[in-house]
Amino acid sequence: MSGFSRRDFLMTTAGAALASGFAGSSKAATGAPKRGGTLVGTWGGFEPQSLFVPAGGGSSPYFTSTKVFERLIRLTADLKFEPVLALGIEPAEDFRSYTIKLRPNVTWHDGKPLTSDDLVFNAIQYWKPISAGVTLDALQTAEAVDPLTVVLKFKVPVPEFFLKSVLAGKAGLVIPKHIYDGSNIITNPINNTPIGTGPFKVKEWVRGSHVEYARNDTYWNAGKPYLDKLVIRWWRDPASRSAAFEAGQLDIGTFNPIPAPDIARLTATKKFVAETKGYSNSAWITSVEFNQRREIFKKREVRQALLHAIDRSFIADTVFFGRARPSLGALHFSNSIFFTKDVQDYPFDVKKAAALLDAAGYPVKAGSRFKMSLVSAGWFEENVKIGQYLKQAFEDVDITVDLAIPDRATSLKRIYTDYDYDVAVSNNSASIEPIPQTTQYYTTDGIVKGAAFRNATGYSNPKMDETVSKMAIETDEKKRVSLVHEFDKLAASDAPVLPMVDLEPVTIARSDVRDHSLTADFMGESWAEVWLDR
Amino acid sequence: MRRIIIRRLVQIIPLIFAVIVMNFVLIHLAPGSLFDVMTSEQQITDPKMLDQLRHTYGVDQPVSVQLAKYIWSVMRLDLGYSYRQNAPVFDVIMQQLPATLILMLAAIGIALLVGVTAGVLASIKVNTIWDNLISLGAVFFFAAPSFWLGIMMTVMFAVKLGWFPVGGMRTIGVDESAFGAVLDVMHHLVLPATALGLFYAATFARVMRASMLEVARLDFVRTARAKGLSGGRVVLAHVMRNAMLPIVTLLGLQLGTMLGGSVVIEAVFSWPGIGSLLFDSVMSRNFPMVLGVLVLGSLLVAVCNATVDLLYLRLDPRIKAR
Repeated sequence: MSGFSRRDFLMTTAGAALASGFAGSSKAATGAPKRGGTLVGTWGGFEPQSLFVPAGGGSSPYFTSTKVFERLIRLTADLKFEPVLALGIEPAEDFRSYTIKLRPNVTWHDGKPLTSDDLVFNAIQYWKPISAGVTLDALQTAEAVDPLTVVLKFKVPVPEFFLKSVLAGKAGLVIPKHIYDGSNIITNPINNTPIGTGPFKVKEWVRGSHVEYARNDTYWNAGKPYLDKLVIRWWRDPASRSAAFEAGQLDIGTFNPIPAPDIARLTATKKFVAETKGYSNSAWITSVEFNQRREIFKKREVRQALLHAIDRSFIADTVFFGRARPSLGALHFSNSIFFTKDVQDYPFDVKKAAALLDAAGYPVKAGSRFKMSLVSAGWFEENVKIGQYLKQAFEDVDITVDLAIPDRATSLKRIYTDYDYDVAVSNNSASIEPIPQTTQYYTTDGIVKGAAFRNATGYSNPKMDETVSKMAIETDEKKRVSLVHEFDKLAASDAPVLPMVDLEPVTIARSDVRDHSLTADFMGESWAEVWLDR
Repeated sequence: MRRIIIRRLVQIIPLIFAVIVMNFVLIHLAPGSLFDVMTSEQQITDPKMLDQLRHTYGVDQPVSVQLAKYIWSVMRLDLGYSYRQNAPVFDVIMQQLPATLILMLAAIGIALLVGVTAGVLASIKVNTIWDNLISLGAVFFFAAPSFWLGIMMTVMFAVKLGWFPVGGMRTIGVDESAFGAVLDVMHHLVLPATALGLFYAATFARVMRASMLEVARLDFVRTARAKGLSGGRVVLAHVMRNAMLPIVTLLGLQLGTMLGGSVVIEAVFSWPGIGSLLFDSVMSRNFPMVLGVLVLGSLLVAVCNATVDLLYLRLDPRIKAR
């Protein structure tokens, strides 16, 4: 397949997904939402360590905590911000301060009202030091002007999309001051029975099995949630999830709940739908990283050659059963705001790879150009296969490969703490906003020894740092988009680390589950509007 | 009898000590630590916060000090605190241990019932089609991986026939009376206990058959027949009782492996037992939790073995407590 046709394909489908938006299959239902019923949901992973992990803790606690905690705003599937706990977030003219108006008459599950004091506490004591970290470095003060108004002040101008993206993102959950004030937020035992403002209250968590949520009858959005009860259950085995769907004991599963070959079988019965929407603000990629601390991989030609040696369509079609696409640049194709096709592509071309390696000064000597250690992070089953494929692909250009597929803890240590690899296969999920989740893989300040999912390659380019710092303070949205394009071009041509495939996770739901997958990160949404057509 | 109990209890102490030291060393030899896993999951990069967490988790001290502290706290019957779950280790384990115990006991029950019956039947009808069928079944269930058996049973009995639930331990979201709850758990228990039990039943059947055939040849059996006892009574009261001894030995040995084997079955049937907890804890290098499970597990196995010893006495009065 030529690079051009694939790019065009990517753009049209991304555009089509955007255009359809709310008219998606899950919304195609007729009639008004029905009240009542119990929804049993799951996801393609395991039970969380705690129902709420203040600093993040991965997808599982994010899934369970977001039914209880809400954010100020949310991002819809067509990438527009929508009010949740805030009625408005307005920047000042110089973009150095923002005024947040809270929704009146919102109460916590224990009956206490949500006020601007809560918000100040969240901004200064929770978001800045714990959940957002460096992302909110520029935040200086938060002041409560009246019980429902807060002004956030920043050291530098802060782009509106950036701030709203943080507030609508994983770091923006609003937690109660009267419960957490004075305690260590991270180790507070209440995190196992969180109290929030959301549509569901934690009723009971049976460890090893499920968590049951009861409807919050005093929810601020009158009439919602439509469900009486929500149950999140965990299965450790994808085949068991398929069985649970078929036996009618599971209604919805997010993030690839069942084995890929089962998807076609289940959807063919018309009793289930497979939905790929609802993941754009938490877009997963599988990336390849080149350790710049090694002399060989410091050479750009070598990195480019290795990228040419990888058949990414093969990975997408064979390893992911077509539920992934070859990547282009550093951004996920579903990022319709910032994605650009105008970056260097690396089509599969073994001859070109060999020529580049020859030119870089690594000719074949005694059957091998050089030896490399390849570490494929074993936290996803697919990475095992990708690691094995890459070993073969690199051996096809006469490189001797020493492959290791360690478990989660060891992978984290080898890639992100000890930098003990030459080439690594890893994953991450990125928000629409590229700062910091995408940019921290490329900037010099993204190098933090022992901190995972950021610059582990040691790549440092002043031009890259400058572009990203410009992006951080550019408040004109159009100019900002072109700065992101500039960033993407540089990332793609320097290629210290690049996505190989953009994953397309799928949500499986019974066809009588309505109004799911309407937001940009459905798994982390409150599910207040989900209803059962039974 | 009392001496046996006391001796067994005294033996448990060095056992648990060895379990702690060995596993502590093993888990520290594995690359990566709880601290790495926790901070990377939580995306903590602030050096001040990292130091604070190092102190909270106690990993800022030398490993030998950590080990000594842990042994000291176990001696005071305190299994420590799990920062991953934000709860005391003992509480988390106690939430999940009963489910594993129920599953284990039910599986043992099924294994004994099915295995012994099949073994006896095979030995009575030795070298007939019955014997061959039972041997074939035993080989099959011994060879079939229990996770595969579990999935096949789910597909057959839960998905196609709808007789049993696909997983879990309770029907979620239903408030029932105590009696209803017991029935509900039993209903959920059938498939996992059978899938786990059949593997052990296969061994029991083979051993029981051989043992029965051996005892049946002994003189006292001929005497019993000569006395004019009925065939059934000879088999049940004379042959079977004496043939049970190797089964009891096997049972004592397999209790430990069953605790381990239930990890797989728990995963397939999402049974809320200790298996998934142990697995997650090993993967996240959460050593207080791993050690807690292993300490309680070794206690359990030791107590079960002591019980088996007592069973010997009951079955064969010739064995004296020494």
